[in-house]
Order: sequence, then C-alpha cells, then structure tokens
Amino acid sequence: MNVRSQVSMVFHLDKCIGCHTCSIACKNIWTDRKGTDYMWWNNVETKPGTGFPTRWEDQEKYKGGWEKKNGSISLKSTDKKRIILNIFHNPHMPSMDDYYEPWTYDYQNLFNAKEGPDQPVALPISKVTGDHINVESGPNWDDDLGGSPIYAENDPNLKGLTEQQREHLFAIERLVMFYLPRICNHCLNPACVASCPSGALYKRGEDGIVLIDQKKCRAWRSCVSACPYKKTYFNWFTGKSEKCILCFPRVETGQAPACFHSCVGRIRYLGVLLYDADRIEEVAHLPDEELIDGHRSLVLDPNDPQVVEAARRSGVHDSIVESARNSPVYKFVKEWRIALPPHIEYRTMPMLYYVPPMSPVMSERNDKTVDNVSDSLFHDIEQARIPLKFLANLFGAGHEAKVVYALRKQKAVRWYRRALTVGDVTLDEAKRMLAAADCTVEEAEAIYRLTSLCTFDERFVIPPSHREEAIEMMEDPHERRQSTGFGFLAGPRRGL
Amino acid sequence: MQMYRVARRLSEVWRVRWSWAIGTALVCAAPPVAVGQETAAFFKQNCYSCHTIGGGRLVGPDLKSVSQRKDREWLVRFILNPQAMMDRGDPYAMRILEESRGVVMAQIAGLTRDRANLLLDLIEAESALEKSQFEGIKFSDRPFTELDVETGERIFNGLTRLSNGGPPCISCHTVRGLGLLGGGRLGVDLTKVSERVGGRKPLSAWLVSPATTTMQPVFKSYPMEPEEILSLVAFFENSAKQVGDDDSVAPLTFFLLGLMGMVLVLGLFDALWKNRFRAVRRPLVAGGEMRTEV
Repeated sequence: MNVRSQVSMVFHLDKCIGCHTCSIACKNIWTDRKGTDYMWWNNVETKPGTGFPTRWEDQEKYKGGWEKKNGSISLKSTDKKRIILNIFHNPHMPSMDDYYEPWTYDYQNLFNAKEGPDQPVALPISKVTGDHINVESGPNWDDDLGGSPIYAENDPNLKGLTEQQREHLFAIERLVMFYLPRICNHCLNPACVASCPSGALYKRGEDGIVLIDQKKCRAWRSCVSACPYKKTYFNWFTGKSEKCILCFPRVETGQAPACFHSCVGRIRYLGVLLYDADRIEEVAHLPDEELIDGHRSLVLDPNDPQVVEAARRSGVHDSIVESARNSPVYKFVKEWRIALPPHIEYRTMPMLYYVPPMSPVMSERNDKTVDNVSDSLFHDIEQARIPLKFLANLFGAGHEAKVVYALRKQKAVRWYRRALTVGDVTLDEAKRMLAAADCTVEEAEAIYRLTSLCTFDERFVIPPSHREEAIEMMEDPHERRQSTGFGFLAGPRRGL
Repeated sequence: MQMYRVARRLSEVWRVRWSWAIGTALVCAAPPVAVGQETAAFFKQNCYSCHTIGGGRLVGPDLKSVSQRKDREWLVRFILNPQAMMDRGDPYAMRILEESRGVVMAQIAGLTRDRANLLLDLIEAESALEKSQFEGIKFSDRPFTELDVETGERIFNGLTRLSNGGPPCISCHTVRGLGLLGGGRLGVDLTKVSERVGGRKPLSAWLVSPATTTMQPVFKSYPMEPEEILSLVAFFENSAKQVGDDDSVAPLTFFLLGLMGMVLVLGLFDALWKNRFRAVRRPLVAGGEMRTEV
C-alpha cells in the first residue's frame, strides 16, 4: 500500500444556481493576462448544452482521455510513435473557433466619435488580431439554453435518450436545465501528464495538484488534446500551456481556492483524501461498469490503523491524516456515496466529484391544484424531467445504478426533513424511504447538515501543506527560508 | 614529463624541416629530361584533346610552328587567359574564335607563366620533328551503326557503366529527347555538341581526356575506352541529326510535374491524417445535423 494524499473536491450540483461568480473570481486572479483571455480555468456550463469548448465531451472528435484496447489502456490522442510522426503538427488540436475568439469593445469610440446623426457604438474588437470582428460565439453562448436550440440539442450526453424524452426535455415552458461548474479535476491518472513530450506536466506528490512547469513547456500542446475535459489551455502569447492550479498559493496558506471561496451557493467542498497509488493502474483497467466502485476503492479510510501506519511509512504527515478524517469529500464520496466522478469512462480518475442534481419535482396539474404526491416512493426519480440516462451518461459511464442511488438518498433525506419541518409526510413514510435508500437517520441528519447548514470550516478542510517537507526533497529548508524572496522574476516567454 | 613532451615536439619539428629541405634539393637537382617529360605529360593531359602538332585541327587549331605565326609574348598571354584576349578584342584571337566556331579555349588550372614557356618550348621542339608524338590519336573511321548509337545512349544514361568507372554523362548533361525530365543541368546541353566542336574527330579527341576544369579531375583517373568514345560520338551525332532546330526544352513539363507531385503529396497527407480534428462548432451551428444519435 502506497498511501498518498490528494486535495479533492465535491461540487453539489443540486445547489448550483449558475451565477458564474466562481468563473469571475478565477478570471480576475489568474487569467486576465494577455494570451489567457480565452481561458476559463473555471467555467459553468448549462446542461443540456455543448459546454466549453463546444462539445468537449465528444471524444470521437477531440480524442481526449484514455481508451482500453487489447486489455491495456492507452491515450486516445497520441502515443510514443504518433508523437514523433505528428511532432510538427498536432492533428487533434481544437481550433480557436471551438473555444471562441476573445474580444473586447472599442470603448474609445464612445468618446472620440465624430459628431453625427447617430449615437456612437462600441464595436467588438478581437483581442488576438485587434481587428473588428463579428462575434459568433463565446464561452457561455448557450448559457441558460440561450443562444440557439442547436447547442442544447447537440449535448453528447443525450446519447441513448428516446425521441420522447428529448421532446420532454426541450418542451416550451417545461424546459429544464442544471448547471455544471468545471475546473481541472486534478486526476489520479492524468492524460495531460502522460502525453507531454517535454515532461513539463507533473502531479505534486504532497497534495496531488497537477501543474505545468512554465520553464519546461515547449508548446507541443499534447496536453490540450489529451485532456478529455479540455482543461489545459494554450497561451498564444507566451507560447506555454496553462491550467487550473487549484490556487495552490492559497491552499498552501490554508485558504480555500478562489472559486471555492467565492461560491455563492456554497456548493463546493474541499478536503483531503488518502488513496492507494499502487492500485491506480489496476483500477484504470477495470471495465466501464466497475470503474466507479474501483475508483472509490482507491480512497482509503483515514481511521483504519493499517492505513495510518502505511501513510506514516509513505511519508504522509500525521496532520494530513487527521485532516483527512474531517474531510467533507470523504463523507460525500466514501461514506454516503452520493458524489460521483464526471465521465469516469475517460479513465483519468478525476478527483473532483459531483453530487447529481435533483430535477424539478414532476407534477401533474389537476384543475387548479398541482399534485406532486406520488404513489410509489421514488417515482419522480425514475420519471424525472432530466432523464436518468442523461445523468448516467455524465456521472455513471452510461450506467444508471450509481446515479439512482445518489438521487434516492438525496430525495429520502429531503422527505425525511420534510416530515420533520413541514409535516405533510409522516415520519414513518420518511423512514421507510430512508431505509429504501440505504440511509440511516443519523446519516440523513449528517447529509442535511453538510448540505444545508454547512459552515465555511466544514466545507473547506484544508490540510496543512508542509511545504518544508516537500522542499526537503530538493533543498535545505533552512537555506530556502534565508534566501527566498531574492532573485529575478522572469515571466514565461516564447522559445526555449 | 613536461620536459619529455617538449623534446618530442622539437624532434618532430626537425623531422619536418629535414624532409622539406631534402625534397627541395631533389627537385632542384632533377635533370632537364625529367622536366621535358613532365611538360609532355601536361600537354597530353590538358591540350591534346583539342590540339595536335602536325595532325590538323581538332576543336582548336593545329599547333605546328605556332611560334612562327605569333610572337612568344602574345602566345604566353593567350595561353594564360584566352577569354581575356577575346574580351579585349584582339584581332588574331577573334579570328581563332571564329575558326573554332565560338568554342573558347578553356583556362587551364595550374598554369603559370613558366609552364606556358615550357609548353611553347615543347611545341617548338616537336614542330621541328618530322613526325611529332602529338600528331593525333588514331580513331577508327568506320561508319556508325544502329548498334553504336544504341550503346552510346546506354552509356550516356548510365545503363551501361563506363568500363573504367567514370560517371555516366547523364548525371551532369542532358540531350534533348531523353524522356520526361531529361538529364542533369549542371553541365552544358550536349544535343548539338558534335556540330559545335566540329565533327567526329575533334569530339573523339576531346573525350580522350576532357580538359575542362570540371571534367578533367573527374575523368583523369577514369579515362574512357576508345570503343566507348566511338559509341558516344555515334550517339551525339545521331542526336544532333534527330532533333531539328526545335529549342523548347522541358521547363513547362518540369513545372507541371512539380505541381502534380505537390498535389499527390498533399493528397497523401490528407489521407494519412484523415482522422484529424476539424471544426466542431461551426458545422454544428451551420447544419445542426450533428445531433447526438438516439
């Protein structure tokens, strides 16, 4: 057992209101430099929708992630042979149009325009060429199913839905949607790291954050095509790739990353998970339907004395193990099993989990009253307006069982609380539902607390980073302490 | 250790000095006969392909009694740089040019004023003889056959290797009517070469030891055999006859071939990378036909 620690995340989609505060917080801190205009290390997508870049989940086109061939897994986009053949032209690079051409507006014209019969306007200008452009798309073109119906209809997760289900999904005035905030998943089996010919990408041993060394990056852009979540971006100005760094300077100093900190809906949870690094390869080879269980089995119980002992042997500090015991992520993922990894079928073993959203309650209109009491306990999960198949494509590798489990448990907790506070459901019935959803009363209370009443410190259990220990591998911490802050700041530049 | 190295170095320097000194002494003491032989060899190597002494004109004039035609100083100047004399418009030089149908005498590498004088001495001495050793090489004058022409073409194209290992003509020269791409463009077009140099005899003589700066070093060690020369001359005469005055070489063919090649390579690239990423968003918005399958 090779125990490592990983700063992991849970996004509770049932609480996300799609306000984009996270995206803006991130943009203002990290990606408002030249060349990063189009990058959204954090973005929020409307589902159903095509996301950013357009249809990023369509791996037939984008060739991201791993695929299982002849019993072993290999990158879809490249391998040792192909990387040499395609060294001067990466054939699977998304084009600028599939992101969008970043633009600003010609505000000066509002002040400097010659006097004329019309009001002056600020025309859009490309931030790449500086010319006037006709804006055709943007990072949130289909936000709230705006833009055009074409985008939502082309969501790759609609695969396998019946014609009728699709009609229901898009019926006027019954339209339904939810939001999917996305950052880098800081995967356990990152395709970006595997693909880099320069070895510029690495996963930090101490906390699992995946980073790109700006001095080593040689602009091959293999990571851009290899990442199935399209979360590495190429900075066209510095000629280096960049990605979400999970605000490591904040995490190291005990603060939550900016997007977590600013989240209005308090949907984000952050905490450390201990995992067994020796078993990653074995789990990445499992068949699709066993991937979620396998992935979950990688996460180790920080209360297990064997694990604690192994962690100590692997150099994981006791304070990190202690932090793992309080991790909200551990509860969602391992204890309650209601948080699921996105698109586990890409086999990158993402360490960002999502609690699948509840659809609006299915209702029937009887004259003037809306009837939402069901005969069967969970009928509105099976017949939810967002079809289970759709959620299963997103969070279950196409298999519904795990998604149904998570939704049932959430619904049971909701009904249980309803019995306690509203009283239109009897406690007996609520307890029956809890039992059917594999949930105890204590667990329901805990889920309710961490979902609805969670404080800042409950949501973000940030492990001490022990930089001094991480640095010890490279240099003497005392020397580092004395000389840090001296030197020259050299930003990344094109070339070697 | 250091001392030893210095000593060794000194002894090396002395060795080199000694060998140099002995060599110089030997050269100075060489008998005049040796110098005469060397000049004759030089003549054979560099002049004989175009000139005879008492054997009639080849490409260039017969050199018998040349010193009676012009004074020694003029001749030396001409030998050292024929082109300069022509450029200056010297009337006698112009006459020579006219007689040789525009073929300018090549400037011979390694020629000094002294050597030119030695050469003229040799020519004078040979002219005095009744029968000079440089009267001209005897070539068979039997009429050419179809087979000669064919063999010549094979030699030119390199399909039959030259027996002494010389490179095939086609690597530098071309002849019209060779096929799509013709031969090399480094050397001159040899289509009308037999007319230019004045027929069978001069051309044969030229091929015995080609005297241009480019060909001489190449063929010095790999001379051609008389039968090969015969076949090649047959081929050149035939090609001069075959091709009329049509002067359209194949630059257009060459260009079109290049274009075709480019199209083919681009097509190949397109096929090899047929699974490359193409636009996603634009076709999606334009057609909407990508709709995720049921």
